[in-house]
Amino acid sequence: MSNSGSWRYTTLGILLTTLAIFIVVQMLRIQLSPQAEALREKGELYSGTWRTITPARGQIYDRWGHLLAGNKTVYEAGVVLDEVENPSTIALALNAVLDADYDQVFAAASTKPSPDAIYATVARFVTEDQKQRLDQLSEEMKSAYSDQKDGNRPSLAGLTFEPRLQRTYPEKDLASNILGFVNWEGDGFFGVEEKFNDELAGSPLRVWIPFDPNRVEEFPQVPQGSSLILTIDRVIQAEVEDILEQAIEESGSESATILVMDPTTGDILAAATSPRLDLNEFWRYDEVFEGSTPFNRVVSETYEPGSVFKVLTMSAAIDSGAVKPKTTFLDTGSIEVGGTIIRNWNSGAWGPQDMLGCMQHSLNVCLAWVATQLGANRFYQYMENFGIGHLTGVDMAGENAGRLKLPGDEDWYEADLGTNSFGQGVAVTPVQMLMAVSALANHGQMVFPRIVLSIIDDGKQYDTTPRISGTPISAKTADRLTEMLATSLEVESSVALVDGYRVAGKTGTAEIPTPYGYTSSQTNASFVGWGPVDDPRFLVYIWLEKPTTSPWGSVVAAPVFRQVVERLVVLMDIPSDAMKGQLLEGQ
Amino acid sequence: MYRVHNITQAYSQAPWRKQLQWVGLFMLAIILVAMVAGIYLSVSSQASSAGREIQIMYSEMEEIRRNIEDMESQIAFMVSNTEMEKRAQEMGFTKVPAEDIFYILVPGYFKPNQVDLAGVPGPTFPSVATVAPEYTQSLFDWLEERVFDPASPLVQEVKP
Repeated sequence: MSNSGSWRYTTLGILLTTLAIFIVVQMLRIQLSPQAEALREKGELYSGTWRTITPARGQIYDRWGHLLAGNKTVYEAGVVLDEVENPSTIALALNAVLDADYDQVFAAASTKPSPDAIYATVARFVTEDQKQRLDQLSEEMKSAYSDQKDGNRPSLAGLTFEPRLQRTYPEKDLASNILGFVNWEGDGFFGVEEKFNDELAGSPLRVWIPFDPNRVEEFPQVPQGSSLILTIDRVIQAEVEDILEQAIEESGSESATILVMDPTTGDILAAATSPRLDLNEFWRYDEVFEGSTPFNRVVSETYEPGSVFKVLTMSAAIDSGAVKPKTTFLDTGSIEVGGTIIRNWNSGAWGPQDMLGCMQHSLNVCLAWVATQLGANRFYQYMENFGIGHLTGVDMAGENAGRLKLPGDEDWYEADLGTNSFGQGVAVTPVQMLMAVSALANHGQMVFPRIVLSIIDDGKQYDTTPRISGTPISAKTADRLTEMLATSLEVESSVALVDGYRVAGKTGTAEIPTPYGYTSSQTNASFVGWGPVDDPRFLVYIWLEKPTTSPWGSVVAAPVFRQVVERLVVLMDIPSDAMKGQLLEGQ
Repeated sequence: MYRVHNITQAYSQAPWRKQLQWVGLFMLAIILVAMVAGIYLSVSSQASSAGREIQIMYSEMEEIRRNIEDMESQIAFMVSNTEMEKRAQEMGFTKVPAEDIFYILVPGYFKPNQVDLAGVPGPTFPSVATVAPEYTQSLFDWLEERVFDPASPLVQEVKP
């Protein structure tokens, strides 16, 4: 090699070395520049994707394990905008198969793709069948128009489906007011779905899924949401709902509520009310619950209970010793309490009456007198002990505490003592009344009503335990009242009586307050009863709102109680009193 | 001096032989590098396909879970109260009135008051990784472990 050519190699060497140094310097500069972090993050974005793993929502069962709320796969239909070939075809197909609005889908699918517009949702709640029809349509289009190079060829390109679990209710509208519903976003509304939303929904987890299979990592185990077993018996619930519908129709009532509870445990076996919603079509909520109609009257709607409240007044008076069952009261047809004249339901004078007679004839005058004998302080103390004016704590969303005006409150007057004694001027919810009366049906011990029997979490079942709320009256008083009310029904030959079973109960008819005072044309008709008297297994509360065939609870609500009990004794395996006696003798 | 030169020349390799040795060494190095690269490619492709299979399996697991939920709901629809009542009526069953029921006492029988859906709780294991460290640690990690913790077992048992 001649020396004359060596300078060329030297120059090439220097150039290459300079280039290498430049590259290294540039690499270092980029690595250490302020934008390096942003660039790294941007690079990381393309190396995988963040994904939220949403655990399956916990299921809800009745007390025998029948599924009341489960999950099913539905699809969200969307369009990947830069893959869309023909928005019109997509809109037409979705309109034909899903009944989706053509204009809306067309507008969404026609959106110009940009970094801010990559994907557009065009339909939700797409079922498996609908998805398969659209997939089939897409395949048919591909094979039929594959040769056509025209930009307007029919195509469903860009249409995608994302599966997800959506709440489903196999029993449709059964116990819908208790259950509540879950919307598309997975949030529970009303009932136990709202009350236990966090437990049922579980904890979603956000994980990074790398595209590089070499970097694949173990998926974290996301535990399913907790499941609930309710105290509801679906057969009793269904029967009670049927009776409720029939009662509304026969009495011409605006609405009705029927509650069935085990007075010893507080288990709500059935809670039927109207209107009800097929929970699989929760989007019809506004249509079904017009205006201010509450979703669950059982816990949300307050009303003046009327004469069923007398059982609380009388039990308080007997328990405190203010009166005795044989105490006689001379009913002259009216009594003045706090400057207000109180009259009986028929404005008549019933003459001398013992306490059984007062309850049997549902005399307002007598009960107002009983309240005055008890005195305001003791009366309201007892009512508070019965839980009136307080939340029961039942596990359903939207509970209303009602209102019990107390001495010392700005709006309390002495006359309230008289009217409150027979259930006027006091606002309660059906579940509140149920809890209060449980003290009478359960030998003085008042139980908290419960709707959740067990919670299943992480494969383990945790049973809730019945809780005693208090002992507002003694067992002796409770048993006395039960006996009085059972006798009262028998003497009256009430239509609430059930062949073969001794039951206790009380009717109620309350005028409804309006801005212009009470109106006797519209009433709340109710009945509270329990049985069998010697060993109560059920406590039933009936409330018919504004019945039109008759305003009286004894006419419209009492027969409903009988109907309910006639089914309950069969479904709860309760032998008649006579048969029970025979069985016990045979032991 | 001449003798020394002659001896050195006599025991020296021929230039062509030296060249051949160098070429041989170079080729050996190339072959070694190629072998290492081949093994690396083979192992990494196996790891990649295993990773891809794992990803697919996770998707399948998710789909199976959804299917289970679907099936449970479908069964619940089929045995819902309305459906069962309809089927019972079609089969000629009617609601029994209380007076038609005859009760007998069965000594020792206890009617359960509710359902047990969780079953018997099984033994619980502490949460541990199910992928053995051999599949996740690098050669350097392993060397470091051997140097600083030579007493640790060569193969670690992993319980699910």
